[in-house]
Amino acid sequence: MISIENTSIGFNTHLFSANGICFEKGKVHALMGKNGIGKSAFLRTLSGLIHPLEGTIQIDGKEVSQYKGADLAKKISFVNSVQQGVPYLTVDAYLLLARTNYTTLFGKYSDEDYTCVQEAKSKFKISHLSEKFTDELSSGELQLCAIAKAYVQGTDFILLDEPTSHLDYSNKRKVYDLLVEMAANENKGVLISTHDIDLAFKFPFEYCLLDSNTKEMRKITSMNEIEVEFSS
Amino acid sequence: MKIVKSGTVLFLVAIIGIVFLFFFGLISGDIDTNFKDVYNALFHYSNEDINQVIIREIRFPRIVMAIVSGAGLSVAGMLMQTLFQNPLAGPYVLGINAGSSLLVALGILSGVGFFSTEIGLIGSALLGAFVFGLFILFTSTFIRSQISLLLFGVMLGSFISSIIAILEVSSHAESLKAFMLWSMGSLQGVSTHQIPIIVMVILLGCVLSYLIVKPLNVLALGEEECRLMGYNIQTLRVSIIFVTALFAGTITAYCGPIAFVGLAIPNLTRMLFRTQNHFVLTTANIIFGALFLLTCDIVIQQISGFILVPINALTSLIGAPFVIYILIRKVR
Repeated sequence: MISIENTSIGFNTHLFSANGICFEKGKVHALMGKNGIGKSAFLRTLSGLIHPLEGTIQIDGKEVSQYKGADLAKKISFVNSVQQGVPYLTVDAYLLLARTNYTTLFGKYSDEDYTCVQEAKSKFKISHLSEKFTDELSSGELQLCAIAKAYVQGTDFILLDEPTSHLDYSNKRKVYDLLVEMAANENKGVLISTHDIDLAFKFPFEYCLLDSNTKEMRKITSMNEIEVEFSS
Repeated sequence: MKIVKSGTVLFLVAIIGIVFLFFFGLISGDIDTNFKDVYNALFHYSNEDINQVIIREIRFPRIVMAIVSGAGLSVAGMLMQTLFQNPLAGPYVLGINAGSSLLVALGILSGVGFFSTEIGLIGSALLGAFVFGLFILFTSTFIRSQISLLLFGVMLGSFISSIIAILEVSSHAESLKAFMLWSMGSLQGVSTHQIPIIVMVILLGCVLSYLIVKPLNVLALGEEECRLMGYNIQTLRVSIIFVTALFAGTITAYCGPIAFVGLAIPNLTRMLFRTQNHFVLTTANIIFGALFLLTCDIVIQQISGFILVPINALTSLIGAPFVIYILIRKVR
């Protein structure tokens, strides 16, 4: 469980505060809010890329900053909203990189690592891309691969910053379905930020709003509150 | 994986090539010698036989230097290219070699005896490479554009050359000669007794490179991905600069500046092996870098009867067009 107490979030300057918020495993939590309110900053804070300005964030009872780098990478994975393909890096090799922390000194992969990758590829239906170089993929294909890579990393928590921004409608639905299934069947805690509000409310997510008036994060249950936020 | 299997054949061919050229280089030259002379020179050396002296004191150190310099510069180039995520980066382009040259020049031209000794020379070259490596690293944190960083490196190089030129004009004839000889770049500047220490340093650099293949593989995805995998990015960057300085500094100290090897070979190996696996790439750079510079050296020796070509000129003649070819491919 991720629990947040009296925390101020932002890159150098305060964006919003969060108090008494929990994200449990086994569920998909959808983070909504206006542009620039701090959704990305929040996900980056959870993944340890930036520090909270104030307050504490605990993952499974331990402060984020207390984790060793490699241990945190086994606990939580983060997918950026923008992905960059790398020349001469195949999709297979790209996905395998998520297993880095489980490999030997020179990075030799085990059978288990290959199995993980196979599983992720069939789950996300990207097996046909295996031998393609990542810089030759479309941005949608690359986004699917990046989400698959987070899955391969085998963490309890998966954070996704606008994971569906480059996907077509059917892929959006597919990804949301997969996330819900992953959370339920493998007891993972999934956090996404999204602007696909209408679609998100069709899925059994938990919803979380960054209120632009109070500059506070709060959990919400109905779509009305979203409409109030976005009508101003 | 598949890539590694087809790669094995390439590696074998290259290694056979190196072994063949190694012995070919020892046997052939201005003075004809045979295989027996080579065998004796290496294992039953007698300094009364002129053929053996030529092989052991002239050809052997030059050929070994070609192999280790080619390997070292190529791995250094690969490290720079991954660090800056820029296929056109390299110790020469980014002014790291120039940094070595500056400190060596300051040392030699200052006229202080210590800096002209072997330890003084290597010390200044290594320090120069490391300091200017850190400087480029520091600069790269606020010059984000790939092209701007390269231009910065080129500017830094010209700036340093100007300082060196001023130093040269106002220095004594004797120290000037020592520096000019060094700055021309030559594989012949090393004598046999120095070979073990140089080989040891380059081997150390190779071992250190192999030890960071895992973070390098992740670094190819970008610095953020590297941090997300739990690596301390500052430590990693400084380690990469350190290993690069070890290669570039040592080789620059003994051979003078040798251009384009560190730029062209890492690109060539990526094209040949089509992978971002740095274990494969490091191995490929060691082998193909060695093969490339060894071939250049043998060619120079074979045509030396007609025309004398400095090693730096030949690597540039081959390397520059290849780099332009990469540029055109990238733009397209």
